[in-house]
Amino acid sequence: MTTGFFARESTVAPPGFNRFQVPPAALAVHLCIGQAYAFSTFNLPLTKLLGITQSAPGDWSLKDVGWIFSIAILFLGSSAALFGRWVERVGPRLSMFVSALCFGGGFLLAAAGIYLHQLWIVYLGYGVLGGCGLGIGYISPVSTLIKWFPDKPGMATGMAIMGFGGGALIGAPLSVLLMKHFATPTSSGVFETFVTMGVIYFVFMMIGVFSIRVPSADWKPAGWVPAAHAKPLVTTANVSVDVAWKTPQFWLLWGVLCMNVTAGIGVLGQASPMIQEMFSGKVTPVVAASFVGLLSLFNMGGRFIWASTSDYIGRRNTYMIFFLLGMALYASIPTLGHNQSLPLFVTAFCIILSMYGGGFATIPAYLRDVFGTYQVGAIHGRLLTAWSVAGVLGPVLVNYIRQAQIDSGVPKAQAYSITMYIMCGLLLIGFICNFAMRAVDPKYHYKGAIGASDGSAH
Amino acid sequence: MKGRIGIIWLLVAIPLLWGVFKTLQNALKLFQ
Repeated sequence: MTTGFFARESTVAPPGFNRFQVPPAALAVHLCIGQAYAFSTFNLPLTKLLGITQSAPGDWSLKDVGWIFSIAILFLGSSAALFGRWVERVGPRLSMFVSALCFGGGFLLAAAGIYLHQLWIVYLGYGVLGGCGLGIGYISPVSTLIKWFPDKPGMATGMAIMGFGGGALIGAPLSVLLMKHFATPTSSGVFETFVTMGVIYFVFMMIGVFSIRVPSADWKPAGWVPAAHAKPLVTTANVSVDVAWKTPQFWLLWGVLCMNVTAGIGVLGQASPMIQEMFSGKVTPVVAASFVGLLSLFNMGGRFIWASTSDYIGRRNTYMIFFLLGMALYASIPTLGHNQSLPLFVTAFCIILSMYGGGFATIPAYLRDVFGTYQVGAIHGRLLTAWSVAGVLGPVLVNYIRQAQIDSGVPKAQAYSITMYIMCGLLLIGFICNFAMRAVDPKYHYKGAIGASDGSAH
Repeated sequence: MKGRIGIIWLLVAIPLLWGVFKTLQNALKLFQ
């Protein structure tokens, strides 16, 4: 049982508290942990720690360095699944603090690994410890936001999860700026950058720790009356986390998230070489980097826009749009590449990436609709294992098929056509999962009493 | 209370807008 400043009871909002203080508290955490998406800015510098200007004997290889991000994403999914129930029990303040300690501490431990030139310490620091910070931080404000915004759960969680997309937009230029600042003829400045970022992120996440509040048990938005007639797929009952994952609905939503993420993440990882190869001679590496930046922007914006839209058109319909429009856009890519229509090609991928982000941001509200608010954060944590699977599946599919096409003599510009059609197939599976969604059987509903503010059973 | 909320929003909005600005600055190269 936690007491004092970190206790859940200490975070219960007083009467008259403005609920719009909660989204920036959640954003403070998500904007920091979203830095993970920008980790690739460290990849090349980490391969030149000894040689400074170029890799020297004894320097780490790009392949080995690439594992840092993969370990972090693996631990993101695992820790979100493992600690979800703990996060629900202790509340958002303590879980955000632990996330800040893990994420900031992960940077510092990784910095020690860089200083000592021991890659396993970097794996342990940024990958394992930082990855746990990512997972705990990602889910910690979700159920609190849903409870504060029962009238607009999509908008509220969309705003927070938008921060995770926005974190890359801050993390990438910040790390480049710091490495440039700390670089000397004898150092690439990576060690100093990791220490500085660890401290900055820890301090920034503390803004969230200090300002987060949970609503009292009987709190409702002023003038808000729950809908008298339940909408299809929106329950007023609750399902506990241990029961939820035994329902077909959990696995259908797992499939929905996994397929949506697999289709987007594979392309996101290959966006730069893909546009250069499909528009050979037209697109330089610098322009390709701009394309990747633009995709990140749409990935972020889509999180807020699509999740907010889902409050009006429903979660199921939102995902129907993602899958149907996604299939149409992916199917059009080979033709757009063949016709060398760069503006249409860029537009299509921007919309695809907005739906990739939208898929992440809409899922917490979908879970709330299907399983109720009780332990929705923990259920969300378990569902994020779909992200870990998609994180491996997406890039492997895109890279493997592209290589197989090139090896069989297909020109590089056309090597992505089959991949795009496979992405359509994945989206079709997601569409079927979403189409099959029905309300949870009442036999799974939680029958005990629930403390509305704390999500705990009494 | 309103002042406190404003400060918290500003604290998160400033770095986010800076990141968006930097990204847009780079993205313009795509259309040049």
